[in-house]
Amino acid sequence: MVLTAIQSTLRSSTTYQQLSDRVRYARQDLSGAVPSIPGLPYLYISPFFILFGIFLMFPAAYTFYLSFFDYVGVSNNILLSIQMGPVVISIPEIANLEFVGLNHYERLIFRDSLFHRSLFNTSFIFLVQVPTMVILGLATALVLDAKFIRAKGLFRTLIALPVATGLVAYSTIFLLLFNGEVGLVNYVLEQVGVGAIPWLGDGFWARITLVIAVTWRWLGYNMIILLAGLQTIPEPLYEAAEIDGANRWQKFRYVTLPQLRPVLLFVIVSSTIGTFQIFAEPYVITGGGPSNATITIVQYIYNQAFLQLNLGYASAVSVILVVLVSIMSIIQIRYGSEE
Amino acid sequence: MAKIDITNLRKTFGDDGEQIVAVDDFNLNIRDGEFLVFVGPSGCGKTTTLRCIAGLEDVTSGTIEFNGTDVTDKRARERDVAMVFQNYALYPHMTVRKNIGFPLRLSTKQTSEEIDSRVQNVTELLGIEDLLEKKPKELSGGQQQRVALGRAIIRDPEVFLMDEPLSNLDAKLRSTMRTELQELQQELGVTTAYVTHDQTEAMAMGDRIVVLNGGVLQQVGTASEVYRSPTNEFVAGFIGSPSINLFTAVVDGNTLTGPGGFSYTLEDESLVAGRDHVRVGIRPEDLTLSESGSLPCEVTVVEQMGNENFLYGKMDDIDITARIESEIRPSEGSVVEFGFAEEDLYLFDAETTEALKTKTGETDIDYDQYTQTKSVS
Repeated sequence: MVLTAIQSTLRSSTTYQQLSDRVRYARQDLSGAVPSIPGLPYLYISPFFILFGIFLMFPAAYTFYLSFFDYVGVSNNILLSIQMGPVVISIPEIANLEFVGLNHYERLIFRDSLFHRSLFNTSFIFLVQVPTMVILGLATALVLDAKFIRAKGLFRTLIALPVATGLVAYSTIFLLLFNGEVGLVNYVLEQVGVGAIPWLGDGFWARITLVIAVTWRWLGYNMIILLAGLQTIPEPLYEAAEIDGANRWQKFRYVTLPQLRPVLLFVIVSSTIGTFQIFAEPYVITGGGPSNATITIVQYIYNQAFLQLNLGYASAVSVILVVLVSIMSIIQIRYGSEE
Repeated sequence: MAKIDITNLRKTFGDDGEQIVAVDDFNLNIRDGEFLVFVGPSGCGKTTTLRCIAGLEDVTSGTIEFNGTDVTDKRARERDVAMVFQNYALYPHMTVRKNIGFPLRLSTKQTSEEIDSRVQNVTELLGIEDLLEKKPKELSGGQQQRVALGRAIIRDPEVFLMDEPLSNLDAKLRSTMRTELQELQQELGVTTAYVTHDQTEAMAMGDRIVVLNGGVLQQVGTASEVYRSPTNEFVAGFIGSPSINLFTAVVDGNTLTGPGGFSYTLEDESLVAGRDHVRVGIRPEDLTLSESGSLPCEVTVVEQMGNENFLYGKMDDIDITARIESEIRPSEGSVVEFGFAEEDLYLFDAETTEALKTKTGETDIDYDQYTQTKSVS
């Protein structure tokens, strides 16, 4: 009885109220002190979705839409006008478009020899560059993963450094290095007796120059990923293989390769996508030449869109590129992840 | 089948700056067909020694001989050893069939039909013939364990090495596999070196036990030898469960006086002649409740095991454990007194911890015969 009386007196006092509030806030980790507004969390995460919508979703969808039209010029027409009393909101049409249906695709696939040329060039670079880089990347990763190598951190940094260089900057350096007359590469080749190679003057060698440039820049990036993959392979597997009688090659063949499969797949797929999108290197180093021997698909898109203002046609090429890259990736993932 | 001779083995880790000595001055002869168990606390060098035998670690100095042939500088794959790893180290991307057949595919010129029939035999022996097309991740711990064993025995190696192979299994499966492993080893008769940190496992399985501590070999002997006649205090404390009661006593003529009122008069004074202090050891199973015993003890906990009770108590600040009959349950906080027979008393040098006296009496038992009958049953 006495106890309940004391308790009720205590409860009614202001000190008790303040105290209990403090305890409550502390218990709820202060969240009780912040006013709760429904849907507030969505407001916090909305910037991503807004930016994603404006800069990725819309352009992608609009490109697909645009591929069925011809861009005629800038339009002054009003697309949509909303009258709200004295206020008029109007959306301008921006582009003057003319519907052409599948014409662009028909022309691309059957008649545009320059597009076929760019497709061939890009495929050539892909077929030479990706295997070269994956094998080289794996080899350097294996060497840097070996126990006997010292100063691993230094080599790792040096090999990975090119990926941080600006595209145009490094392309310009390669342009100078591989210059036919005054380039360092030909100078060295002549000194060792191999003789000068028409790096930028011959179509085949110009493509090889691009392969070398891209490999130099991306080797370290892929090597780091492969190295990380190598380091996740449990050491006991190698020891078990050693006990089972495996030599170096057999350990690589039966332990390293199967264990590295998902990482290799990632490297191959991302490199494939990257090579099919190659632009800055041919743009700066070869300018697409000599006589379009190095023009790539994205460079062709650029030329069509921004030099000749064929926005609709350029969009159609972009769509074709997306389809190509998707097919390549699906094939690689299917084949690469078969169990 | 092979006998293994290890001479002056030393293994250190780390370079010039800080060297960690994992194994030092290690000499051991493993007999042909023997089941030898390495036991010791973690970091005692038992796994390192095993890996040196396997060839997975280079030795710093010393030699290892298989059947008189020096294999110290040979690689693991040239030594004809098979090993079962603690985490089994099965190849995750291979089926059970491929995992078990892998050593044969690598090291012999057998056709795939011959390998397949060998795999079939081995899996039937281990009772896993219906798992052949499964991948390791689809198997339970016990099944993975059997696959790892299968991969080890398929090659018919000179030596089996096992690094805590049972430690990832639950208690019940562990004791089943323990028996199976022993049966398998006896059937195949292959020299086996087995590493464990569990002294019960060591006692139960080993023909002989090698006790290691801090990289130094403490004792080699049968289960009863290391239990009855430990060479020093460490072995006495490590072997036996629950572990031995140990404390320091002051020597006064033929009387030992210890903490908390411990007092015992030795019949044989010569054991402690010329000493001020000794370390006293009495196994929990040798303590008997007594009206006027020499070891008083305040009871803290009594654990009922069914067939017996474990009594935990304090003698001053020394923990005391005793195994008593299941009918007797002294209440907590009460003080009881224990007595013991002098033949069961262990005495160790207070400084060097070397054994001065171990269990005497019943020494007529033929231990070898005893261990053999034990392991068959």
